[in-house]
This record gives sequence, structure tokens and C-alpha cells, in this order.
Amino acid sequence: MSTDADTDAERKKNQYHFDRHTPEYRENFQEITTEMLEKCPVAWSDTYGGHWVAAGHDEVFALARSSEYLSNDHDVNNVRKGYKGITIPTPESEFQGGFLEMDPPEQRHYRQVLNPYLSPAAVARWTPVVDELVRACLNECIETGRIDFVDDLANVVPAVLTLAMLGVPLKNWSLYCEAVHASVYTRHDSPEIAKVREDQMKMFQDMYGQMMEIKATPRPGMIDALVKAEINGKTPPDLELIGVLALVIGGGFDTTTALTAHSLEWLSENPVERERLSRERATLLDPATEEFLRFFTPAPGDGRTISADCEIAGTQFKEGERLWLSWAMSNRDPSVFPNPNEVDLARTGNRHHSFGLGIHRCIGSNVARMVFKRMLTDVLDRMPDFVCDPAGAVHYETIGVIQGMKHLPATFTPGPRIGDGLDETIARMQVICDEQRLAEPVTVRKTSAKITE
Amino acid sequence: MKVHVDPERCQGHTLCAMIAPDVFQLDEIDGHSTVIIDGEVPADLEAKAAEAVRSCPEQAISIS
Repeated sequence: MSTDADTDAERKKNQYHFDRHTPEYRENFQEITTEMLEKCPVAWSDTYGGHWVAAGHDEVFALARSSEYLSNDHDVNNVRKGYKGITIPTPESEFQGGFLEMDPPEQRHYRQVLNPYLSPAAVARWTPVVDELVRACLNECIETGRIDFVDDLANVVPAVLTLAMLGVPLKNWSLYCEAVHASVYTRHDSPEIAKVREDQMKMFQDMYGQMMEIKATPRPGMIDALVKAEINGKTPPDLELIGVLALVIGGGFDTTTALTAHSLEWLSENPVERERLSRERATLLDPATEEFLRFFTPAPGDGRTISADCEIAGTQFKEGERLWLSWAMSNRDPSVFPNPNEVDLARTGNRHHSFGLGIHRCIGSNVARMVFKRMLTDVLDRMPDFVCDPAGAVHYETIGVIQGMKHLPATFTPGPRIGDGLDETIARMQVICDEQRLAEPVTVRKTSAKITE
Repeated sequence: MKVHVDPERCQGHTLCAMIAPDVFQLDEIDGHSTVIIDGEVPADLEAKAAEAVRSCPEQAISIS
């Protein structure tokens, strides 16, 4: 007669000690991934109270799309089933991370509110503004022959654009920018954590202030849509909306920065490929962007809770068990991606998981692609011979949350400024945002931004 | 060749329209895909349509 313990042992026979929060995981990512894909595409790990890890492409695909058996809910007040959201382990300060830590119908209602600001058509309207911001960032460095691609470019443009789309004054970007990035890469036992928390507090205060201001005196942007939204028939509490804003800001800032930094570092190390990309950009920029997304997977995965007993992809799961869906590892599965550990700029059939899968597909994916392509193209045009300095490049110590970089200094042959610097450009873009009401949803304003002097 | 997008599976990843803009169009509001072409895909677009099928992360596109 079999006992529950026997059944449990049988269910969890594929065991792997998986700890993505250690520096060793970053250093040995390729070996660990290859081993898990070969031996245990779904494994039980004893870490963080025990949880499942899905690495195989087919397995992650099947699981991520089974929303009837998976929950994203982060039940902070323990009024439903007490599920813990998408972070493993559960963070010390529990906070619901917007609609990414909700299930339908609330999750769907929030996305319906924000989609008209983030669809491909909505995002394309911002391209002229992004081009101005990128040009200004490069102007600040172009005459010196030195740039830090993270500090001087990839941190700046996504932050300014995200605030513009929200309806927050553009000049506030630095208040948000450092707070977001530092909160991702600073370890909780670091001496710097107190300063990071203080900066975060200032950011949240500003965010709350903006929300109250927009409630009282509406101005276009995603905040306006959120404060007017009915979610499942109710007006959501302010704290819930702050969680949504934190999700949009967190998603909009650090991920695109991470993708850009890693791609530029790789292109510096592969100058022949860089020249090819620049020369053949009309056909190569799109597939190369998808390949960088696949290879560097800025957001490496998401946690879930099993919401009902089920069998998916050959494994039996029990209600309440935790699961890590690894986009980063499934993106290296050789059954879908030939030579998975090589960057192939012209790769075809690239159905990577870097924006997630199913109903929680990254809502900012169109923003990420557009901003990345504009930054990359302008760097290729104005700094075509850039060389990154490996001694100055600082990668995040761990890649459990975001596979990012803190700094990426580079040198290049100096060139001429074209137009204004950053502060003047931000002031000019603010006027354009206000006058043209750029932050309206695409349902209200269809046409692209017009750059005026 | 005919192509079909399953609206229940499509999540608006947009790769199909990026690869084959003459075959797929994206909804203005949520970016979900529909097929523009009524009936048979012209021969010169077949390869692109097939690549869109291979590239869809949700495997929402089929050929008949």
C-alpha cells in the first residue's frame, strides 16, 4: 500500500538544489541550465521552504499558460488563500506588486485600463520623443569620447519616458531612477540599504503626491486612467494603485536598462557582428532585438502558486505548492533553439519567453522594444567604434530578480553635439507632452508626437 | 496556404506582425493579432507567414 509520503517522494523524484539568488548561480548559469534541461526540466528544489522549478521550454510553456491551475495572487492581508505572489522567497516587507500579483478578473480589468497606453500603436506615437531624449543623452558625452552606457543612457531614457506616459513631470526622473535601480541590486545586508530605503520612500511620497494631484486636477497619463478606473465594480484603494504604479515603474526602468547594457557589451566584444548589424539593420534589427531578449532575458522568471491539484507536463502538482517559471533557462532549451548558448543575430523561429507567456505577458513589451531599438541605433550611428571597458563594467552580483548591470563605461572617437543637452531637452519635451497631450490613450489621441522648437 | 490566429491563445506578443506585416495586423488597443488576408496567402508571403507561425511564443497561429 502506498502512503502519502511515498506518493510525495515519487512526485518529487527529480530533485535539484536550485538557488538563483547566489553569485554562483550567475557564474555557473550555463552549466546549471544545461544540466537541468537535460536531467530535470521540472525539478523540486529544497530551497526557500521547497518549491518547483521549471526550466524546459515545453514545460514552462505548458505551465505558464495553465492559468486555471496557477495563481499570481499575493494575498498580503491573508483574506483569500494566503498565496505569496511572484517572488520566491517572499520579501520581508510584503506588498502586492500590482496586477502581476493578481488573478483575473481584477488582473484583466487593470490591463484593460492600461492597454490603450501601451499597445504597439500607442507606443509608436512616442518615438519622436524618445529620439530627442536619446540624442540629448549622447550629446552630453559625444565630445569627450567617454560614456557610461548605463548611467548616461540606458538608465535615463526608459525612466523619462515611463514618467511621461504616467503623467508625472519629466524632470522628476532622477528621483525615481536611482531608487528603482538601487532597490534591485542592493543586497538586504548591505550597508547601503538604509540609503536605498530612504530614496525609495521619497519616490513613493512623490508618486502618492502625483496621484493625489491628478485626482484633484486631471491631466493625461496612466495615473489618470488608474484613479478613474473601476476594477471588478469597485474603486480600488490608493495603496493598491501605488502597487500598480510601482509595477509599471519597476517594469519600465530596470529591465530595458539591463537589455541595453548587455547588448552593447556583447556588440563591443563582437565588432564584426556590430558592423553587420549596423549595415543590415533594415532586416537585422528586429531579429537581433529578439535574440538579445532571448539570450540576456532581463527578467529571468516569475513565481506562481499552484491553485488546484493538477498534472501538467508529466508532473503532479498539489494546491499551495510554489513554482518558479524560469524564462531564462527555457530560453536556452536546445530542442527549440539550435546552439542555444550562442547569439545568432539572424535567428529564426525565436519564440523566446523573455516577456513571459499567457495572460501575464509583459504589458510594457512594446515600450521595451521601441526604446531599446532607438537607443541602439543612435549609438551605432554616433559611436560606431565604441569599446566597453571590461575593468569598469559592473554586473549585478546576482541575477535572481533582474539580470542587470550597474555600470558599463566605454570609449569611442569623439564627435559633434547635435542640438541640446539633457536638461534643456527634458524641459522642451515637457512642453510638447503638455501642449500635445501626448499621454492620452491611443483611443483619444492617434497621431504621433510632433517635435517643435 | 491559409493562416489563422486563435484569439484565445494570442496575447499580443506582436512578433507575427513584425515578421509578416502584410499578413497580420495588430489591434490598436491591445496589440492582439488578426489575419489581414482573406483566403489564400499569396505565394510571395508564404515564407514570412510560416516564419510567423514558428516564432509565435503562444503558438497561436496555425496554417491550413
